[in-house]
Parts: sequence; structure tokens; C-alpha cells
Amino acid sequence: MSQTPSQSGSSKGALRHEWVLLMVVALEWLYFNSVGPRFGTLENSFDILRHSVEIGLLALVMTPIIISGGIDLSLGSLLGLCAVVFGKLWRDGGFSPAAAATCTLALGAVAGGLNASLITWLRLPPLIVTLGTYSLFRGLAEAITHGADTFTNFPDAFLALGQERFLGVPTQAHLFILVAGVMWLLLHRTTLGRTVRAIGFSPEGARHAGLPVGRRLASVYVLAGLIAALAAIIYTARLGQARADAGTGYELFAITAVVLGGTSIFGGIGTLHGTLLGIAAIAILNNGLVHARLPREAAGVLTGALLLLALSGTVIPQLWNARRARRRRHPAPASPSSPP
Amino acid sequence: MSAPLLQLRQLTKSFGGARALRGVDFELHAGEVHALLGENGAGKSTLIKIVTGAHQPDSGSIALDGHRVGTLDPATAHALGIACIYQQPALFPALSVMENIALRLEPVSPGRRVDWRQRRDRAAALLQRLGANIQPDATVSTLSMPAQQLVEIACALGAGARILLMDEPTASLTQSEQLRLFAVIRELRRNGVGIIYISHRLEEIFSLADRVTVLRDGQSVGTHATSAIDEPALIRLMVGRELTQIYPPAGSVPGRVILAARELGHAASGVHHVSFEVRAGEVLGLAGMVGAGRTELARILFGLTPADAGEILLEGKRAAIRSPREAVAEGIGYVPEDRRRHGVILEMPVAENMTMAIHPRIFPGGWLRFGRERALALDYIRALDVKCAGPEAVGSSLSGGNQQKVSLARWLVTKPRVLILDEPTQGVDVAAKGEIHRLVRRLTQEGMAVVLISSDLTEVIGMCDRIGVMRGGTLVSILPGRTDAHAVMAAALGQGPMAGGSA
Repeated sequence: MSQTPSQSGSSKGALRHEWVLLMVVALEWLYFNSVGPRFGTLENSFDILRHSVEIGLLALVMTPIIISGGIDLSLGSLLGLCAVVFGKLWRDGGFSPAAAATCTLALGAVAGGLNASLITWLRLPPLIVTLGTYSLFRGLAEAITHGADTFTNFPDAFLALGQERFLGVPTQAHLFILVAGVMWLLLHRTTLGRTVRAIGFSPEGARHAGLPVGRRLASVYVLAGLIAALAAIIYTARLGQARADAGTGYELFAITAVVLGGTSIFGGIGTLHGTLLGIAAIAILNNGLVHARLPREAAGVLTGALLLLALSGTVIPQLWNARRARRRRHPAPASPSSPP
Repeated sequence: MSAPLLQLRQLTKSFGGARALRGVDFELHAGEVHALLGENGAGKSTLIKIVTGAHQPDSGSIALDGHRVGTLDPATAHALGIACIYQQPALFPALSVMENIALRLEPVSPGRRVDWRQRRDRAAALLQRLGANIQPDATVSTLSMPAQQLVEIACALGAGARILLMDEPTASLTQSEQLRLFAVIRELRRNGVGIIYISHRLEEIFSLADRVTVLRDGQSVGTHATSAIDEPALIRLMVGRELTQIYPPAGSVPGRVILAARELGHAASGVHHVSFEVRAGEVLGLAGMVGAGRTELARILFGLTPADAGEILLEGKRAAIRSPREAVAEGIGYVPEDRRRHGVILEMPVAENMTMAIHPRIFPGGWLRFGRERALALDYIRALDVKCAGPEAVGSSLSGGNQQKVSLARWLVTKPRVLILDEPTQGVDVAAKGEIHRLVRRLTQEGMAVVLISSDLTEVIGMCDRIGVMRGGTLVSILPGRTDAHAVMAAALGQGPMAGGSA
């Protein structure tokens, strides 16, 4: 068949994007290392890690959601709600940190379940549903703290989760690596990932194949809620305080990392390792600017520019190829149309 | 008589390799209702699209009032007074009647002041001419289907249409609404409008049309005054050709009943009181015109639109099928009509498409097993002779016929008890068509029960042991296989012994 060459193009294109991104990350590292004397130290690397874990966790669970063709704008607000609920349970409810954490994780899953049921049962668009819960969760967090209350003075054993090391690396890094590993397996080695991808390409096609569309969609939103709660606990431990505005805007950073990592906002296409690279690119940029004595405000500009550059860097070669292919096909004499 | 209002000469049109029109002549006079009749795929829609300017003919000429028209595009057609009323009104539902009419008739220019009084008066005048009791201020979405149709006709009249094409205008109308529409059509005819009227309903054609042209396989097989021809003769013209023996002979003797439907229905899709049985090793055909409810019935059986009346029995046991997943679990496979949207996921590899319906079985515990998947895909690529670069080739890189084979393979790997095939050979080249037919035979010999939906009468007659004919959302008769094409067509059109009193 004549179509043979074109079909390998798509997978190669996706691969190329990750290589481009890896190069971006390497270049960032080399540049900041050359201008900031303290940038390359182990201590600073751990700093980068600590600061990127919470957004990173959100990006990890955002990846399957975006691959399914959906989006979750509520994760940052949910992080805030979970943080204050955790603080409230510990300080006013007399829960131990472990018990409070367990309840917080359950709350996260339930909140994710709320998104999931609105999206799968009522068939409301994810953008609208999570825009609603985005306000709802943040509003609840503010109601619990009356907008002013801050939970502090957590025991040292709990703060160790966010501030100490375990086996030589920041404690929360272990959790992040664990979640990243599990998410990678789910997305690339299980029928859940396969189904989510099929739904992202064609929800109706997936339904016609007898795939459990609703159940699989629900599970990625519940998982996202659960991990947002985990991120809230780590956030609280890192800063030593829980406030209603915790995690404001995190959902957008997470989405940026996912899209930068090569996941298509239209669904179907994307990898977890791409997202990891996306997180790294953003985290290193933000940290490096401080070391390079550049204004922090530059972070936003540069993150945006990076996203647009990386995306066009992937799309432009594809357009180029398509144009070349068209030109190759065009000069040939208009052959009588053959059966499709 | 003066020059005909519209004259088509030797029109031809091909899509890819398929010849939709092969030299069609057609004439329409002012003040005439000219019916166009033909099987599904005979070329009616292509003809309409050429007259409305949506398609350009490959060769042939179009003349209006005896003057030849060079190229006919939608804008020229509109300017020349050609308008088309489709089955589904194409109005803006959120806007009012007069706004919809204004949108069609007023030139678009920014900053133009809107003369609301003039808009309302014009809408009222046009609706008056049709004798329609519709308020110009009414929002279109609040109007009934026939009322919306009248608004469409009002738009056409307002644009000064002299040639009106109507494609199955009565498909969704009740009997009294039909009568009102017919009155409007007769009034238009009296005013000198030429109307091309397309319908499958023969009684409408006889009561309304002056002449009728029958299309078959892209050719006109005759134009007759309705007063000079009768229904059996029309059906003979539509069916025409004799069956050639290209179909593999039936080798299997039907066994026990596998699938049975009892008074099955789903109100929203218009299917009601469908009862039938399919036996092991049997092919049950489902024939009928477009809109008769065949695909809708398949969607009920497959749980896409679960039944809200009646029951489905599988080998005698009642099966509650509320979703495709449950249908798959019950051993039902469905190869859908729209293979590009539903049959395969074009962006995904052949192997992944083939295993999509058997995830629990081939991937125990939910873990993907790439080796197993690849081996299975290679087996089916070989067995069905799917032409592709390999199991990793994405669906969109395959030709239509090979995509269809992948769609079939997805269900064959489930080893279903019942396989529903919806137009499996439509848009498929001749070689793949023959392969699919032989495959269906082999499956029935292995004891599968097959339901074959097809608009290709020769296929239905050649392949099926029994033929269920659907009309108006229900199964009106079940004919023996190898039957006479005229009988199938007559039942599908509502003629002959099954006609009953319905309009």
C-alpha cells in the first residue's frame, strides 16, 4: 500500500518532541550552571525537587485526564481545601497527623468522585464541571478558615515529610517517584491507559468497541482527587502551614507541564515521561532564574515562551513534512482517480 | 410548450472509482411536480446536489429556460431561483422565524441598519402565501417539524425560487400534516413553480406528482406520466436487473434459535414492536429504505440505545442489554455502518483496534501483553488478508475495505454468538466485498447467527436465508431468502400484501 511511509510519522513525531524537550532541559541546566555558582549543587537540586513535587503530582494525574480529552481545573482548589481540612482535623479535631492524612486522602477521592459523576453520569463537559468545582472547593476552604485562619505548629515528625531527607533525598521525592512509577504503568502498561487513550481519540468509537467508557473516565478523575490530597499534605509539611489559598493557580502550572510534555489537548496523544520532562523544564527554569539573578517575574514570560516554542518546534517539522509530501504528490500528472 | 424550466442532459459524476451518475437526462417544467424515485444509492442525492450546485458534474449540461448554465455553484443556483427543502430543516433554532427568513434573504453588510418592521412584514406576507399560521416572532425551536418546513419553504419563496427540490419532505410528518404540505405544494404548482419531489412513498407520488423519473444504478430508466403507469410497473423499473449468481451458496442448515426479539422498541429512535428470531448458522437480512429503522434496531440490540419496550432473548434466556459492554458480554458483536467514526479508531494501530473488545480476556488483570496482542493481530491480518504495513500500522493508513476488515476482526476475535453487520460492504471495493461475503458464509457454517443490514438488494437476496423488511420503525414482513427483489422492494415501500392502511 502506498500509505506505508506516512503512518510511522506520527509515532516518530511524538518521540521527537520528547528529545527536543530533553535537550531544552539539558540546555537550561548547562546555562544556569554556568551563570549561577550555587545552581549545580546537590542542595539546590533537592531544592528544585522539593518545590516541584506538588505541582508535579498534579501534572502526573492531569496527564491521563488530558489524554482522555478532558481537563481538571479544580485540582489547585482541591489542594487548598484538602490542606485546610487536614489542618482543621489535626488542630481542632484532635486527629493524629496520620489519621488526619487518611481522612484528607479520602476527601480528595470523594471530591474527585464528584467531578467524575457529574462528567460521566450527567455528561457535562469536564471544563464546565471542574470550573464549577474550582470555585466550590476554594470557597469551602475559605469558609472553613473564615478566610483568615492559618494552621501552624505541626509536629516535627510530620514536617519531616516536607523538609527532611530520607535515604539521602528529600522525603517527598520518594512519594513522587512512587506515584510517577505507578502512573507510568497505568498509562502505558494497562488496559486503563489503553482505554483512556481510545476515549481521547474517539469517545463514540470507544463506546462502540464495548469499552467501559464511563467507569474508566471516572477512575482518572477520582485518582486525580486522591493525588491532589496527597499533594496538599506534602505542601502543608513543606511550608509548615495550611491556608485556604494553598495551591492557587497550581492547576494551570500542571496543565502547562503536561502540554509542554507533548500531550495533546485534543486527547489521545501523550506520555507520562513527556510530562516528567515538562515538569523538569519548568522547575529548573523557575529555580535557575533566581540563581542567575534575573527577576522572578521573568519566570512567567519564559515559561510561556518555552511552552509556545516547544509546541511550535514539534508542529513546524510536521507541517514542513506535510508540505513536502504534498509537493511530491502534486507535480505527478493528475492520474485517473483510483478506488479509495 | 415552452422550453423546460430545467433540463439536464447526459450528466455523469464519479466519486473515486464509484460512478454515481452515468448519463442522466431529466426535465422539469414550470408548474409541474416531478417525482424522482430509486433505490438507496441509485443516484438521487447526487442528482440533487448537482442541481443545488453542491457538486459539479464530470460531464453533461444543465439548462434553465433553454439557456445553458456554465458552472452551477450554490451561490449561482440560489441566484437562479433553485432552492432545496431537506428532510431536516436547516434553520437557526434560537432565532425567530423572521430572523431566519432575513438571514437567507438580506444581503450581508456590516453596519447596515436592521429594518425590523420590514422584516416582520415580509415574513408575515410569505407565511400568508403558504397559508401557514405561524407568528413571525416565534422562536424556531418552539415550532413543530412541519412548521419549520413551512418556514424553509417561505425562505425559498422569498428568494424567488422557481425550482424547488424536496427530499423526503414527509418523512417525519403525521398524516394531517402531510395533507397540509400537499396543499401547499399544489398551490406552488399552480403559481408556476417547478418541484422535484423525492420520496419512497409510492402513494404520495401517485397523488401528487405529474410525472415520475426512475433512477437505477446512476441511470434514468424512464420517465412516465403518473397517470400512465401503475405501482407494480414502477417497482419493476426500480429493481430492474436480474440477480447474477456471484454470491457464495448457502451451505449451512440453520440450527437452534440464538437471538430472539419480542416486541422490541425504543421510542426515541422510532423503533417499535419488532419481533424476530435468528438461528445458529443463519443470515437474517434486514432490508428497507433509508430511515426505516434498521440501524436504530441494531443499536438497540447492541445496547447503544437500550430498549425501552419488549425483550431480547439469547438462546432462550432473557438478556438485559443496557450498554455495548453488556452486549459484548452476552456474545453480540456489531460492525457499525460508519466505520471511520465508530468501526475503528483511526489514530490507533490495527492490533489495538482488533483487541479492543476483548481486553478482559487477552489482558488478564488489566496488564497489556504486547506479544499476545501482536500474535493475535497477525493471525487475523493473515486470515482476513488485511492489507497493512503490520499490526502497528494506524487505522487511517488503511483503505476503506481494509478498515472494514479490521472492524470485522475486532468482533471475530470475541467469538460472538450473534454478529450484526451494518452495511458491511458499503464503500468497499469489489474484491474486498467478495471476501467479506465468503467470510460471512464461513462464520455461519461455524454456527454463528448473523444479522445483515444492507441497502444493496442483490446482497440481501444473495446472502440471506431470510429477509426481514423494515418500514416506519418496525419489521413489516419476513420473506424467504433467494426471494424476488420486487417482493422485497414492494414490502419496503409499503405495497403489496403488507400495505395495510398506513400512509
